[in-house]
Formats: sequence, structure tokens, C-alpha cells
Amino acid sequence: MTTIELPTRQRVDRLERMWQPEPGVLGWLTTTDHKRIGLLYFWTTLVLFGLGGAEALTMRTQLASPNNNVVGPSTYDQLFTMHGVTMIFFFIIPMTTGAFGNYLIPLMIGARDMAFPRMNALSFWVFLASGLFLYIGFAAGSGPDGAWFGYVPLTTRAFDPGRGEDFYALAIIFNGISSSLASANFIVTMFKMRAPGMSFNRMPTFCYAFLAASFGLLFALPALSADCIYLWLDRNHGTHFFDVAKGGSTLLWQHLFWFFGHPEVYILIVPAFGIATAIIPAFTQRKIVAYPLIAIAELLVVFIGFGVWAHHMFTVGLPTITVVFFAAATAMVVIPSAIQVFSWCMSLITGMPRFKTPLLFIAGFIFMFVNGGLTGLMFVAIPFDQQVHNTYFVIAHFHYIIFGAAVFPIFGGMYYWFPKVTGKLYLERPGQISFWLIFVGTNLLFFPMYIVGLLGMPREIYTYAPSTGWSAYNLAETIGGYLTAFGILALLGNLVVSYRRGEPAGPDPWNGPTLEWATSSPPPEYNFAVIPTVTSAYANWDVADRERDARNLADGAMVLDQGHETAVSSVADGRFSEIVEMPHSSPWPPILAFCLAMVFTGLVIGKIGLAAIFALLCLVSLGGWHWKEPQEA
Amino acid sequence: MSELAVPRTTQARNARAVARAAAERIGFPAGWWGMLMLIASEGTLMGSFVATYWYLRLRAPHWPPAGIPDPKVVVPMAMAGVLLTTSVPMQLASLAVRAGRLTATRLWLLLAFVVQSGYLAYELADYMDELHRTAMTRDAYSSIYFLLLGADHAHVFIGLLLELWLLLKLVRGLTMYRLNATVAIAWYWHFVNLLTVIVIGTLTSVNVV
Amino acid sequence: MKPGRSGGGLLGLAAVSLLAGCGSNADSLHPQGPGAKDIASLWWWLLGGCSFGMAFVTALLVLAWFRRKSMGPGREPGERAGWIVILTLGVGVMIAGLVALFVVADVFTIRGTEAPAAAATSLTVRAVGHQWYWEFDYTGTTAVTADEIHIPVRTPVRVDVDTGDVIHSFWVPELNRKIDAIPGQRNAIELYADKPGVYRGECLQYCGLQHAHMDFLVFADPPAKFKAWLADQERPARAPASALARRGAQVFTQECQSCHTIRGTSAHGTVGPDLTHLATRTTLAGVTIPNSKTYLGSWIVGSQRIKPGNQMPDITLTNRKLRALLAYLDGLH
Repeated sequence: MTTIELPTRQRVDRLERMWQPEPGVLGWLTTTDHKRIGLLYFWTTLVLFGLGGAEALTMRTQLASPNNNVVGPSTYDQLFTMHGVTMIFFFIIPMTTGAFGNYLIPLMIGARDMAFPRMNALSFWVFLASGLFLYIGFAAGSGPDGAWFGYVPLTTRAFDPGRGEDFYALAIIFNGISSSLASANFIVTMFKMRAPGMSFNRMPTFCYAFLAASFGLLFALPALSADCIYLWLDRNHGTHFFDVAKGGSTLLWQHLFWFFGHPEVYILIVPAFGIATAIIPAFTQRKIVAYPLIAIAELLVVFIGFGVWAHHMFTVGLPTITVVFFAAATAMVVIPSAIQVFSWCMSLITGMPRFKTPLLFIAGFIFMFVNGGLTGLMFVAIPFDQQVHNTYFVIAHFHYIIFGAAVFPIFGGMYYWFPKVTGKLYLERPGQISFWLIFVGTNLLFFPMYIVGLLGMPREIYTYAPSTGWSAYNLAETIGGYLTAFGILALLGNLVVSYRRGEPAGPDPWNGPTLEWATSSPPPEYNFAVIPTVTSAYANWDVADRERDARNLADGAMVLDQGHETAVSSVADGRFSEIVEMPHSSPWPPILAFCLAMVFTGLVIGKIGLAAIFALLCLVSLGGWHWKEPQEA
Repeated sequence: MSELAVPRTTQARNARAVARAAAERIGFPAGWWGMLMLIASEGTLMGSFVATYWYLRLRAPHWPPAGIPDPKVVVPMAMAGVLLTTSVPMQLASLAVRAGRLTATRLWLLLAFVVQSGYLAYELADYMDELHRTAMTRDAYSSIYFLLLGADHAHVFIGLLLELWLLLKLVRGLTMYRLNATVAIAWYWHFVNLLTVIVIGTLTSVNVV
Repeated sequence: MKPGRSGGGLLGLAAVSLLAGCGSNADSLHPQGPGAKDIASLWWWLLGGCSFGMAFVTALLVLAWFRRKSMGPGREPGERAGWIVILTLGVGVMIAGLVALFVVADVFTIRGTEAPAAAATSLTVRAVGHQWYWEFDYTGTTAVTADEIHIPVRTPVRVDVDTGDVIHSFWVPELNRKIDAIPGQRNAIELYADKPGVYRGECLQYCGLQHAHMDFLVFADPPAKFKAWLADQERPARAPASALARRGAQVFTQECQSCHTIRGTSAHGTVGPDLTHLATRTTLAGVTIPNSKTYLGSWIVGSQRIKPGNQMPDITLTNRKLRALLAYLDGLH
């Protein structure tokens, strides 16, 4: 058979030709390559992060002194609503899952792409469209102003007659479609596309984290979609889901919202835990302590997280037995988090830590996460929760968690994988400086919020009186905010300069433990010339297996170059099951995303006919998508 | 581990080759897992609607509220039962396609399609009639009633579209893609049929529970 | 609509000096009632325990820093030690700590902060949140007021918390924890003040444009003083005492009675607060400005500059009419 006879160079050339992307802008528009999609997500979320940050800085400037008038209440209310929605739905989730997850997971499991490459592209274009949808509404003066948690009746048409909350409800449903598709894709990819030999107990902990987050999103998002459907119907079609006078319920909104909302906050941080457990082994040159405990803990955090939602509702007047149950469940979720914290610390202590910039961010992450986690633990005490609920104490808690436990690992991950994605090394000294600026800035920004919350400062207020005694703390927080922003600009500036002037990195500058370091920097379109041999969870440290790959390439084995091919394995044991032809580039994902965007546009401007026409066009696009099967392309 | 021992499933071009390749692979293909993910997500969405129904009902002094007749039980449950029986031809189609029996597959799918279309036509006429008599905007009961039932009908409609597409594709022969699709769509229908029983059961339970 | 720069600033500055002595404390760590005291004690224990935990983990990180060059590359050094630390500290100690916390807070302390049984209190006040002020009705009496309540000191008072529109939240940090005001929900909380004084209350659920200016004041009075105050609040409004005030009453009828109530007159409006005894109050507009003639005048003609978006429009009045109206309102003791 011809597969064995071609020499190595020709085999690689053949792979290069099979996997060649379309050139130019068209190539980016029609891409199904997980790495390109990851990069598209990365740049888009950075822009949205900037917008969310600008919203935050504007609020901090307004609050820097009492009775200030940088912005009035209407603008301020839109700012904190947009800030929350942007940072959660349009920054953290797409940056972790869309950028890091997309780029790295197929590489880490030794695959050539995700299980559903075109659906992966669709997730990105739908995400981009949903972001544009929300921000065009905001720019046009119809920004939502009901806070990110949108409680009724404040967000019903009776109390919020503009279009802002319609943009809110529809943008969230729209964005949820992107995340649900992406979650399904990640789960199936990690189940089926692992390199043969990679059984579940050899899958990197990074992947376990993303698996947990994906299951979380899949089961949590529908509750939020249901809530937003009710809100949109009540606001626009006269239904009475939330109308107490007609048999509806105010608390219905809150129960469904937090049933989604609590798992959501674990979904925000669990992928970042995965980044931390990927970085620690590389910079300590030892395997992570207690791998099985970490893997289970990551899944448990999300699983238990589905049972605690009413701890956001301790002041609404639920029966005591109910609140006590939810406090007990919340206490349980602390345990898997504590397991992970001690695993990370012990890995650092018993390894050979090199505190380069990525590890500095992870150390900072551990510090910030434990801080926020401990104040979260305080909320298990129901009466204490009922004192500080809705004050700045809570804002401090969740920003220590979200900024500390999600954003710090994201920054660390940017530095860690910068060489892999660009082929260049980042500049180390400026990297460390950017860490310290951000670390000092965020602590100055968020720590005083604990104090001012205990002094009674409520959330969501556009100003306060000088007699409250909150002024000095607020000023310090604002200074911290600007310092943080400066540090982030320094970080981004460092990455830009490093891209221009960095030293060549080579495939593996860190001696990293996972398979992305076994291929070139940046990886070729097909990721691996040979489907890797895997016999442990730290595949790149298994020298014998990597040598086996080189021999396979020379022999022409496991190259899979008869088409646009990749390997599929069984779920639990990773036994080699079949070889499938993958879709290559396709125009249908952006087309379908556009049609879907027009459906939502029609709904938000009240033109149901327009929405219906484009819904039909969505079905037509799906037909076009499935017209040619992968082997016919 | 050798690539020669493993089927290149997308290269199979006729029914027999496809059936053989399907028998040789280990476990479910990615496409079936994808359908399971869709079922999980849609199931949770419908579950949220059902939970909403019970939440509103358990807080209401009268349910249905005064002025709304109790929902009929016998006909809706019978219709749900009819829909449930279409799981049989769908499953038979799924088994036939995996054995490479293309004609049998097409016939079972067609039978299921006819019964399911008949079901939906009847149900939609009934739905429009009920809407005429009691507006969705009357109160919370009507709101959740028509949303939950309408969402169920929408899922049946999507199932019909999937089946129609599949029937058209199968006219041209069998590929692994179409085999995977047949089994996945059969699972989708098992989900929709079970969902319908739950939804109808919930909405008519006022007379029983 | 933004308050005019210089006007707003001047008002703000003056408000500072006048409000400084007005119980502006909402400091949950300065508890003045048993509920808040129990919670404050709980807080100090929590702070102690969590600080210890924080210090411990920081020490681990610092230890890692100091060991950074001392370990060589090896197989899995310290794997067993790691498991032991995780299981004893991460699981064992954490479970013990959480159980202790849970029992102390959610079995014992919670009993003192739950809604009071009806029979356990001597006075019930109904607090109704509106966008953006608090209305207070003294159950069993005809007394209705807004922005501030008086309660007898060292007496358990039940507050039934309700809303006239969206969700609000009733919170007096120095006395007890908060409870939300939710449409369709009956919620209640106990207020008990250990000492006479003024305690600040706030709305703690985002409720729209002027959520920031929806505070209220709780005056804890000795029982005799409270009885006198309540008796006064129950009476209908005093008749205007001077010709100017009588003219002011007419202005009120023309401009204000569609939104405000003054018991004993033809004014029965329910959009804005009850003004029957306006002159007894120390502040206006949700403790935003002091209750003086100047401030009240500025409020009437330009409330949108002080509290933009609030439900009261700017009322255009000639100076004569304004003087008359203020004279009338000043007589509403």
C-alpha cells in the first residue's frame, strides 16, 4: 500500500497540502481550524475586556469623591449593567473557553481539531454577533440598566419602558447559543478525539477543568434562557410570568436566574484552575500533587455548585429550613476548592519552582482566590450574609474571586503559551513588572471594598454623601483601579513588543508536560504530523513515546494523510476506533450566524415578520451546511 | 495500535461497506454524542418550563384560575401515546440502517414521518383553537400553558424537518454520515416522544393530582 | 439630568455640615441592637479564623519562594506528604471548621435574627418601599409618615416590609440584618434598640435611578417621648396659622395635592409621601437634604437637580407663592 512507501519529507508535504487554509481574509472568514478560531476569540474578547474595563474606570472615577457628577444616575446604571454583562458573558467565558480552550484542548489531547470544526466556527461568529448586538444597542442609547442580574419587576416594561432590557434579554439568549454549542463541542471532543492510548486517567487536568465547565454551561444556560424568554414575552407580548396580580411570581425570576448564576460563577473560575494546574507542573518540573483528587475536585465543584443557588437569596424571606439547607450545601462546595488549593501549594513547595512571570501570576491567583474564597465561606453564616448582602463587601468578595481566580490565570496563561502561539519568547523583566503592577493595583482596588461594605455602602449607587465616611476608601479604590489598568496596558504592551522583538522560542522553551509542547511553535495546521503515542498524563515528558512518534513518521505509520483525517477513540479507554475525514473551510458558519443575528434584530425592533423570514433563512443555511458531507468536500 | 486495523469510516461508499465499518468501530461516533448533548440542553430548557409550571401552580390558590376550564385529559394523552408509538418505527429504522438495509430504513422512517405529521397537524389545529378561546395574555396560567405546549410542538416540528432531510438524503444511497444521522435522529425522536408524554402529563395533571 | 455644578456642590457642602450630626452611621460593626450585636460577634470570629487561614496559605507560598532553588528535579518528591496535607488540612480541618461555623451561625445565631413572632413584639410598623422613599404606617393607628420613624427604646418592634412597586430592601445596619420588600411576599424583621439615638437605614436592593438616595432614619426614643410623638403623628394636620400660610394651603391644593396626602384636608394623593407632619422631620427626600426652609424651597422648584429622575417634577412657582407654600408647610408639626 502506498501509505508505507512515501519518505518522511513527502508525507509532511502531503499533510501540509491537505490542511492548507484558504488564503487571506476569506481564509479567516471560512476557517474551521481550532487555532484560528481560538485567536479570533482572543482578539475579540480583548476588545470587549477593554470596553468592560472602561465602564469600570468610569464608575470608579464617578465614585472617587462624594456627590460627584462625572456621570448621572441613568448613565451610571447602564455602566454597571454593561460592565457585569460584558465581563461575564463577553470576556471571561469566551476568553477561557473560546480562546484558551479552543486553541489548546485539541493539542493537549493529541487531536487534529475539535469534534465539530464547523460548529466551532459557528460558536465564534454567533459570539461576535451577540456582542455587536448588545453594544450597538448600548451605543444607540438603548443600553440595559437593570443590573447584570436583571431582577423583575424593575426590568419589566412597567418600570423600564425603553428598549434596553429587550437588548439584555435577547443578547443573553443569543450569547447562550454560542456557549451551549461550544460546550457540546468541548465535551464530545474530549470524549472522542483523544489520541489513542489516552484513557481518561491520562487526560491532562487542564482538560478536566474544561470538561467540568462545559457540563456546567450545558446544564445551566437553559435556565437562564427560559428566564429571558419569560422576560421578553412579559415585556413585549403581554404574558404574566412575573406579574403577581395575575398569578405570576417575582421570585420565579430569581430562582431560575441563580440556578444558572451560581454554576456560572464556578464555570468562570474552573477553566482558570485548569490553566493553573497546567502552569504549575511546567514551572516546578514535577507532576501535580494528587492528580486524581484534582480531577475529581474540578468536576465536583461544578456539580455541587448546581445545588447552592438560593444562597444568593438569603434576604428574600425564604423559610428558615430552606436557607439552612442552602448554607449547608454551600459549605460542601468549599471542600473541593480547598483540596485544589492545597494541591497547588504542595506542588509548589515540593517541586523546583521557577518564579517566572506565568508562575508569579499563579502565585498571585492562589493568594487572591483564597482571600475571596474565605470571604465566600463567611457567607455560609446566614445572619452575616444577611448583614452584608448587596453591600460593597460582596463586590470585594466576587472581584477577588473573578479577578483573582479567573483573570490572573488568564494573564499567566497568556505569558505561558505566548511562545507556543507566536514562536517567540516574551520579555521576562517587563513581564514581572506587569505582574506586580496588577497585583498591587487589584489589592488596592478591591480590599477597601470589604471595609466600606461593612460600613454600610450599598451596591449600585451612583454617588454617596460625604457624611458617610466612605470617601477615603473610594478614592483609594479608584487609584487602585487606575493602577490596575496601567498594569494591564503594560502587560499587553509587553506582548506586542515581544511579538516584534522576542527571541525564537522553539517548540518547547519550558519543558512543558503536555502535548502542545511536542509540536512546533506555532503548530502546523494539522497539529501533529503523527498522531501521538500516549501512555501517561504527562505525555511530553515521556521521552520513549516521543521517540516512538519519530519512528512512526519515518515508517509512515499513524500519519493519516489520505485526506483531511484525524483519529477517533473510545470514550473511557481511548482505544483507537476509527479514522474520519474532517470538514475543512466552510462559509456556512458565518452565514448562519448572520441570519441568526437578523432574527434577533427583528425581535428587538419589534418586526416579527423580519425575524420569521430570517429564521427560515437559518433553516436554509443549515441545509446548505449539510448539503455536502465531509468526504464529498 | 495500527491504523490498518481501524476502519476509515467516511470512505465507505455503499450500504454494505458502511454497515461493515459501523460494526467495526468501537463505541458511539462523535455525531451521536453530539445529539446527546443537544438532548441534554433542550431537555434542561423544557425542564425549566415544567419546573416553572409547578412553581406557579404550587403557589396559586386556584389552578387553573377561575374562568378557565380544566384541561381535557383523554384525547391529549391518547395523542401523546400515538406519538410515543412512533419510537418503534424510528428504532427499527435505526437498527435497519446499521445492518445496511437501506429500503427497510426508508420505509420505517416514512411510516414514522406520516404518523408524526398527522399528530402535529391535529395538535396545531387544537392549539390555535384553544388560543382563540383563551389568550396567552390572560394570566400566568395561560402564559405557561401555551409556552410549554408550544415549545413541545416546536420540538416535534424540528424533528419532522430533520426526518424529511434525512429521507431526501437517503434517496441517494447510504454513507456513514447518513447512518450516523439516522441513529441520532432516532434518539432525538425518543427524547421528543418522552418529552411530550411528560409535558401533556403535566398540563393535564390538574384533574388527577 | 445632572444637578447644576455649582448649585449641587454648594448644596452638598451645606448638607454635610447639617447632616454630620444626624446619625449618618450605617456601620454594621458599631451594633446598637441585639441582632446586629450577635452578627458583629460572629464577624469577629470569622475574621479571626479566616485571617489565620489566609496567613497560613500565604506562608505556604512564601515557603515555596524560599525553597525555589533547593529542590532538584526528581520523580515525585513529596507526593505522599502532599496527599497527607490535602486530606488533613484541605478536607479534615476544613470540614471541622465548616461544621463549627454552620452550627454556631445557622443553628444558634440565626434564631435571634429571624422574623419575630407577632406575639413577641409590642409595636408593629409597616414599611412600604416606593421609588424612591420609604413610607411608614403605624399599624393600629392613623399615623403615617415617611423618611423617618420613631420607635420606643428597648422595645421589640416588628416591621412588616412591603413594596408599592419594585423590589426594595429594608436595612438598619446598627440594629439588625436586612430583609427584602418583594411584591407578593410578606416579610418582617425585628428592630430593637439598646440605647436612645438615631440610626441610619438604607434601601439595599437596586430599585432604579435613585436607589442611592433612599435612606431613612430610625429614632429610638424613651417611651414617654415616643408616646407623645406617636400621638402627635396620629392627629390630622394643623390648620394654617397665618394668612400667608392660608395662601400657602391654597397653593398646595393647586400644585401638590394630586400626588401628596395631608390628612384632614382634601389632599389624598398617593404618588409621593404623606406630608401631614412634614415639619417634624429632620430630613427630606430619603435623607438627601436637611429639612429647612431653604432646602425645602430648592427641592420644590428644582428636585430634579437634587435627585435627578425622581418622581416629582420641578414645580414652577412665583416667589410669592413659594413663600406662602413654605409658610404653610412649616406649620405642619
